[in-house]
Amino acid sequence: MAQRTVIPFGPQHPVLPEPIQLKLTLKDEIVEEALPHIGYVHRGVEKAAERMDYTQNVFLVERICGICSFIHALCYCQGLERLMGLEVPRRAAYLRVIWSELHRLQSHHLWLGLYADAFGFESLFMEFWRSREMLMDIFEKTAGSRVIISACCIGGVRRDISDQHLQETLETLKTLEAAFDKSSEVMLNDYTVKKRTVGKGVLQADKAIMLGAAGPVLRASGVEQDARQTGFAAYDELRVEPVVETAGDCYARAKVRIREVRQSLDLVRRAIAGLPDTDIAVRPKGRPNGRTISRVEQPRGELLYFLAANGSQKLERLRVRTPTFANVAPLVHMLPGSELADVPVIVLSIDPCISCTER
Amino acid sequence: MMLSSVIRNLFSKPATRPFAPAARTAPQGYRGAVEFEEEVCIYCGACATRCPANAICVDRVAKSLEFDPFKCVQCGACAEACKKGCVQLQIDYQHPVAVRHTVAFHGPPKPTVAP
Ligand code: SF4
Ligand code: SF4
Repeated sequence: MAQRTVIPFGPQHPVLPEPIQLKLTLKDEIVEEALPHIGYVHRGVEKAAERMDYTQNVFLVERICGICSFIHALCYCQGLERLMGLEVPRRAAYLRVIWSELHRLQSHHLWLGLYADAFGFESLFMEFWRSREMLMDIFEKTAGSRVIISACCIGGVRRDISDQHLQETLETLKTLEAAFDKSSEVMLNDYTVKKRTVGKGVLQADKAIMLGAAGPVLRASGVEQDARQTGFAAYDELRVEPVVETAGDCYARAKVRIREVRQSLDLVRRAIAGLPDTDIAVRPKGRPNGRTISRVEQPRGELLYFLAANGSQKLERLRVRTPTFANVAPLVHMLPGSELADVPVIVLSIDPCISCTER
Repeated sequence: MMLSSVIRNLFSKPATRPFAPAARTAPQGYRGAVEFEEEVCIYCGACATRCPANAICVDRVAKSLEFDPFKCVQCGACAEACKKGCVQLQIDYQHPVAVRHTVAFHGPPKPTVAP
């Protein structure tokens, strides 16, 4: 006789990089219902942002997420620049693209590794993380730090990348691509890997739109949407076509990210080739006043900042909507009907970043 | 592919460094530990205002500065703010210590006015 059991999945689970709890109601081995519980890593960043100076906040928002720190800072600075009427120099815009795409590369490498680990493929995990180390070294060389790179500032970027470092970056990317070709081949074509991912956690396009999915989760369901199409930073000149897959399962989500890695490699190369020779920052004048919304594309999807300023040193309100927050509802929809053994793979397939979600 | 990777890994050196005996030097431009040059400081407080971590405390009247390296996040905002070039981020990694401490210094005592 079928019996219902409730299993708490997380907050401490070997597959989860960060704490989230899913209460899974099982009927035998099949998930019937999943209830998410968050609140384990809430840090009060939004409130802290109201207490600090708006220039200091750049360093604060970077710490919302360690994996895409630059993109958080970019989103925040972009919003303030709009409020203060600043025009960012073209070189700074291009450098912002270069660092953003390098962050996307490193984030996708990190995810591909963790994902391989989720279905127990330890050696593939090591391969991806070994490659990722090359990207961390690029950050250290060009920006002065490995994780929180603090390269973005209001009005531009804080430091330039020298020609020599650009050349070295291109060289490193060549090595990286060669390694990536081999590892991604396994991820896409290996029989065992496909057994674990094809047809698991399917999300249809209409459901993805209705539940407000974002980023690769949305694009893997066949919806063509990428915030980079809005043309922020230098994306207006370096056009980006969204990477779309239609199956909507875990395999498609991995495939989207693998194709995005290639896209990012191409973007970095194009940005370096077309890097204009201008200043790298303008001095902000006056204080921000008004309200605005800033949108950028993070590795996990669209990131949105709402900023309310009142002409003083401090912001009135900072609201951050991160892509993982948007992807929790689709995740809860994907789980029912799947086997318990597939839950880790499905949960990881949305690339959960809980520290982002809870801020 | 995995077979070739097994063979490669069997005969290659480890990807990691043997830390401690072969400590790595940080690249130029690395944001490391914060160091102050006491003699140059004018106690203007610009660094303290910009510091996002409240790691620096400057008393402009008493002419003293206190810095807590354990609060510092090595962002480099203080070095950018200091007009005197008195704060610098070292290229070296911040080393662990056994006891928590702060760095404090102050200017010369005010000349006492003769009665
Ligand atoms: S900004 Fe420089 S000179 Fe001014 S208090 Fe700080 S360290 Fe001293
Ligand atoms: S490096 Fe940043 S956190 Fe550290 S003392 Fe300077 S401003 Fe403060």
